[in-house]
Amino acid sequence: MKFRIQFLLSLTIILFMLLSACGQLQSVISPGTATVSIVYGSEKTEWLEPLVKQFNAANNKIKNGKNILIKSTAMGSIESVRGIMDGSLQPTVWSPASSIYIPVANAEWRKTHTDDLVTGTPKDLVLSPVVIAMWRPMAQALGWPGKALGWTDIAQLATSSDGWKAFGHPEWGQFKFGHTHPDYSNSGIVSIIAEAYAGAKKQRGLTEADLQSPDLNQFMSAVESSVIHYGTSTGFFSDRMFSNGPSYLSAAVMYENLIVAQESKRLAGTSSQIPVVAIYPKEGTFWSNHPYVILNAPWVTDEQKEAAEAFQAFLLDKPQQLKALELGFRPSDPSVPLTAPLDTQHGADPAQPKTILEVPSAAVIGGIQNLWKQTKKPVDLVVVMDISGSMGGDKITSARSSLMQFIRKLDDRDRLEIITFSTDITTLSSLSELGGKRQQVLDSVSGIFEGGDTKLFDATLQAYQELQQNGDPKHIRSVVVLTDGRDNSSTSSQADILNKINAAQGEGGNSIKLFTIAFGSDADKTVLQKIADPTGGKEYDSSPTTIQSIYDDIATFF
Amino acid sequence: MYTPRINWVLLVLYGLAVAGVFAAALLIPTFRDIAYAPLRELILPPPAPIVVSVLYSTEKDAWLKDVITGFEASGAKVNGHPIKVELQALGSWEINAAVMDGTRKPVIVSPASSLQITALQDASITRTGKSLVNPADSGACRPVLKTPLVLVAWKERADVLWGQQPASTLWKNVHDTLVNPQGWAALNHPDWGYVKFGHTDPLKSNSGFMTILSMTYGYYGKTSGLTSSDILTDRDFQKWFLDTESSLGQFEDSTGPLMQKMITYGPSTFDFVAVYEATAIAQADNAVGRYGELRIYYPPALLWSDHPFCILNADWVTPEQTQAGKLFINYLSSQPAQNLALMKYGFRPVDPSVKLDQAGSPFDRYAANGFIADLSHLPELEIPAGNVLNTLRDFWSRNVTR
Repeated sequence: MKFRIQFLLSLTIILFMLLSACGQLQSVISPGTATVSIVYGSEKTEWLEPLVKQFNAANNKIKNGKNILIKSTAMGSIESVRGIMDGSLQPTVWSPASSIYIPVANAEWRKTHTDDLVTGTPKDLVLSPVVIAMWRPMAQALGWPGKALGWTDIAQLATSSDGWKAFGHPEWGQFKFGHTHPDYSNSGIVSIIAEAYAGAKKQRGLTEADLQSPDLNQFMSAVESSVIHYGTSTGFFSDRMFSNGPSYLSAAVMYENLIVAQESKRLAGTSSQIPVVAIYPKEGTFWSNHPYVILNAPWVTDEQKEAAEAFQAFLLDKPQQLKALELGFRPSDPSVPLTAPLDTQHGADPAQPKTILEVPSAAVIGGIQNLWKQTKKPVDLVVVMDISGSMGGDKITSARSSLMQFIRKLDDRDRLEIITFSTDITTLSSLSELGGKRQQVLDSVSGIFEGGDTKLFDATLQAYQELQQNGDPKHIRSVVVLTDGRDNSSTSSQADILNKINAAQGEGGNSIKLFTIAFGSDADKTVLQKIADPTGGKEYDSSPTTIQSIYDDIATFF
Repeated sequence: MYTPRINWVLLVLYGLAVAGVFAAALLIPTFRDIAYAPLRELILPPPAPIVVSVLYSTEKDAWLKDVITGFEASGAKVNGHPIKVELQALGSWEINAAVMDGTRKPVIVSPASSLQITALQDASITRTGKSLVNPADSGACRPVLKTPLVLVAWKERADVLWGQQPASTLWKNVHDTLVNPQGWAALNHPDWGYVKFGHTDPLKSNSGFMTILSMTYGYYGKTSGLTSSDILTDRDFQKWFLDTESSLGQFEDSTGPLMQKMITYGPSTFDFVAVYEATAIAQADNAVGRYGELRIYYPPALLWSDHPFCILNADWVTPEQTQAGKLFINYLSSQPAQNLALMKYGFRPVDPSVKLDQAGSPFDRYAANGFIADLSHLPELEIPAGNVLNTLRDFWSRNVTR
């Protein structure tokens, strides 16, 4: 009997202990994860990425106990819309650089859905006005800060044959302007809308009829003629301007926060460039307001919405808003005062802008994009392709198909030349407008096969010289070189190419740009980088699986 | 040991009495309080609270959350049951829609203005023959806070538009400047672009609706007697009204975010906006040191957001909930709650014993920004009949692109 009582007592104690442990066990066994994927405009990378890490590390949970995991991807704002529309991107949250493209996204989404993709009024994360970044001495030469400058001043400078000479600085050469590609980046689309307004001499009420005006067409062509090249994202563009200096670019369209960030670096001694200032266009501009859009899409679950709202609340909380201010953004929280570094010392004027332009309808924005395609600066392009023996198999197949895809994206007004090299150098198609020969060029590329040595330097030099002789300096002139190996049979050397490039440095941002693609691990990346960098082009590492995306990136420059 | 029979009887009776008290306390919460407290808490379950759900407009969200704790701690009870208040925020017009279509069944509704109560009364009588609210019964339906619709503008720009105070022809002047294609250039300020005015979406937010009602009165130059035919048959009015509205950009969903945008985006985006006086007070400090001086301007005739709290005359509201609701409304009208509404949130109390311009009140602190405590010199606009309000809403909804 005594034994039975002891047994029962022990059993009860064990039972209680097990029950108590259940509470602890619950915390050990993970209840799951609510993953929130965010695709965002790259201009806020420096602010957002550390906050994503901080938020994830804090093990925040939604009501049912699941951990919130934020996965973020930076991408051009317009490019990300295209991804969402074609289904290649299915994020929970879309945070483009501005709300300007939301009506267009909704109109596109409505073609296949009954509801809008973006509903209600999304909250702004941070703000920054769209401005023209200009080197301070150049802005002063134009009369800044006493004189208000704007899009019309840019157009006048762009069309003047005297360039900076008309403003007492012949040593600065031609005016060199830049904005990102409107098919990829928010600041690109904003730039061409602002150009259209300035050309139509309006600040609101822009119509499709306005876009038919020959004067507007001429105005946009004039502004675009001074563009040295386009680009995929505003962050990338500002890096280009601030690393290559005033000989490369006189001015570019970007966001105020990028100028403040650059000036902070300069004042801290980590950048040796001359000062840069924000010009707030006198005709009006747009705000980059970084809306936080929880998508009204079938793939977004209620759990993800809840988790996304928690992350939004975190980003809008005061400490995070203060961090945004440190990086040069204007906080969306009105209780955070606009103090340093948002000041004249950092190239900004927090009392600006004085006015904005009205956001046009989706149809008018589409019309402006078409007008830009007609008025943008054409490209003179020489593609140099390695077809040596080592390119066999997957390499030649993917190189062929991706080049064909690239050619399809070029405009009819663009001029194209294709050179292949192995033991010999062959011109498949000489430099001429693509419109009349597109199919013929595609047929030629589809028939390329590999064999022979690698005459990389001779072929590259030949392409560069031909473009110097036959290319139109008013066009964007570029050479794209693809190779999978090292030069082994050229008569010229790497030094010969570099000499040619250095001799053309006086042209600054208007010089011929070399884009080099190291195709596979055997390519000499060091050499390829050395010949790409000084031209303002870019060196890419690639493989048969990534080559298409490389060509896509190069296409954003044109 | 011998125990007399009588003692046994007494013991049994005592036992029955104790059991009876406990049973009564279990069944009737009023008796609970007479039970011995430590034993009561140990043995007797607490009485179920009476839940008073309040569907309210967002402008008073912070104040309500602030006072609700005090109300629940005050120990107010109905038949021994404590009262639990459940808050659900919604746009003022959305409250009406949700109650009418039955998707929400609150005990109390509190939109931003008696405009919605009038419209709800009209809509419910039209549909069911019975009014869901009864403003004539002040115990069950009455205003609790007041704040007028005002214009907030950047002083530099208001000086050019209307000087010290808007004229009696305010809305006609606003229309003329908004539709002028030259914008600010016509007023010698080309660098300010086109003239930019903002109000909220009248279908979602009360301040937006009050703005378009005020504009309509302004067009006719009257302060009462607005009819549906004024809205539906006068082509000149319709063109005037729609030209004004089409010159506005996006309509924000609610008043707080509109005021925030006024401050964060500055005069580049809004020259002036129509918001509540209390909303302007809440953001007054934030505006300092940004884009110049921000000032408040009272329109020539006032419309009040008076935050009525009305117990619904609906089959889902029990008599106990009605009683509890009345206690809650009384608490909101009490001096401490009213004082808090003034001092911390900038609302005008309905309790006349709370002085508006007392030291430290917003009307004292922000007097230099144009806030005026005594508005008795300004006429008030009459709230039109419910069918007129609904006509104006429908007209806006059908003709203005959002």
